[in-house]
Amino acid sequence: MMDMKKRNIFKNIFLVSFAAVLILTAGIGKASAYFTTYARAAGGYRISIDYDTEIEEKFSDWKKRVVIKNKDGSQPVYVRARAFCGEEYSLTYSGDKWTLGKDGYWYYNDILYGGSQTAELVVKIDKIPEGVEEAELNVVVIYEYTPVKYNQDGKPYADWSERGKIE
Amino acid sequence: MRTKLKFGSPKLTAALFILAGVLLFGSSIGGASAALTYFSESYRSQVEMYDIGVTLNENGKGISKRDYQSYSDGQWEEGVGVLLENRWSNENPLKLGTAYEEAVSVTNSGSIDQYVRVSLYKYWVKNGEKRQDLDPDLIELNLANVGSGWIIDASASTAERTVLYYNRILGVGETSVPATNTLTISAKVLDEEEQYNGAEFRIEAEVDAVQTHNAEDAIWSAWGRGVRVNNGSLSLN
Repeated sequence: MMDMKKRNIFKNIFLVSFAAVLILTAGIGKASAYFTTYARAAGGYRISIDYDTEIEEKFSDWKKRVVIKNKDGSQPVYVRARAFCGEEYSLTYSGDKWTLGKDGYWYYNDILYGGSQTAELVVKIDKIPEGVEEAELNVVVIYEYTPVKYNQDGKPYADWSERGKIE
Repeated sequence: MRTKLKFGSPKLTAALFILAGVLLFGSSIGGASAALTYFSESYRSQVEMYDIGVTLNENGKGISKRDYQSYSDGQWEEGVGVLLENRWSNENPLKLGTAYEEAVSVTNSGSIDQYVRVSLYKYWVKNGEKRQDLDPDLIELNLANVGSGWIIDASASTAERTVLYYNRILGVGETSVPATNTLTISAKVLDEEEQYNGAEFRIEAEVDAVQTHNAEDAIWSAWGRGVRVNNGSLSLN
């Protein structure tokens, strides 16, 4: 009888204590909530790798004046040009920032960015036989472009094994 | 006959019951006083508002924000904007290898001081799919003020993600120094023209803000990151 009474006593104390613990710990979650907030944004752009160049030629006084243009939106390129004509004529070239290569092409020194154009390359036709009119002249100028590439140091270079040829 | 308080007696049970009742009532006191503060006009002007708010800026202009408004029934005032919006077009195309201004900064638009961190993401998408084979390093989002405002969390950073913590308190109304300064899409994409032609580069910025009170615990609880705060200066563990 006494043992049962003692068990009841301890059981009551335990239940009440447990209830007290539950009530006291119910507030712990609220006490540890902190003021936080956030903000986010994203954006992007689709890149297009296009090349769009054109040549402009003017002819007067036995000189062909050539300008190569890289259109707006086109990726930057290096360009080179040369002229061809009949054997009876000879050609001399001149132009700011144009350099003769060993292969007979004239190379533009600078990168041609989209929306920009080269300095003029002047091709002078010499040894014109007497009686030949300008309209009879057949001198063809061709040019080529290649994309600007960059080495590991970030230095740009031209790889002429990849080129677009235009006549 | 003197009545003794014996174990197992009805009086003991009653006493324990009353104690339980007191404990139960006591646990609700906090809630009751909050209700009093909220509904009482006379208290509103005297109680200090703890409204946390943060704004993400791009080149000095607010893009996205989220501000708590306790006077507005506890609603959040928020807005989400777009980065790089209207930056390039057919008439004004993106030039590879060119550095464009891209300064990401943070403003405390709340009414309590805060600590902030910024997470920056960069990656490629093509035909609607994220492309992990395209190199995020070609999206050169240049960091700024590292060591003099922002600390890089190297343990949380990857090729696509950089996490930065502001090393001091951002006061109410204050704007941080920028975490970035320029964005360049490397011309090296031309080396793999077929892969990158038509691909879209994306950048994302996320700012998280937390209260300064009990900051170390708050940051650990909210962000899961151990930090040390000493006289307002924050450093990473």
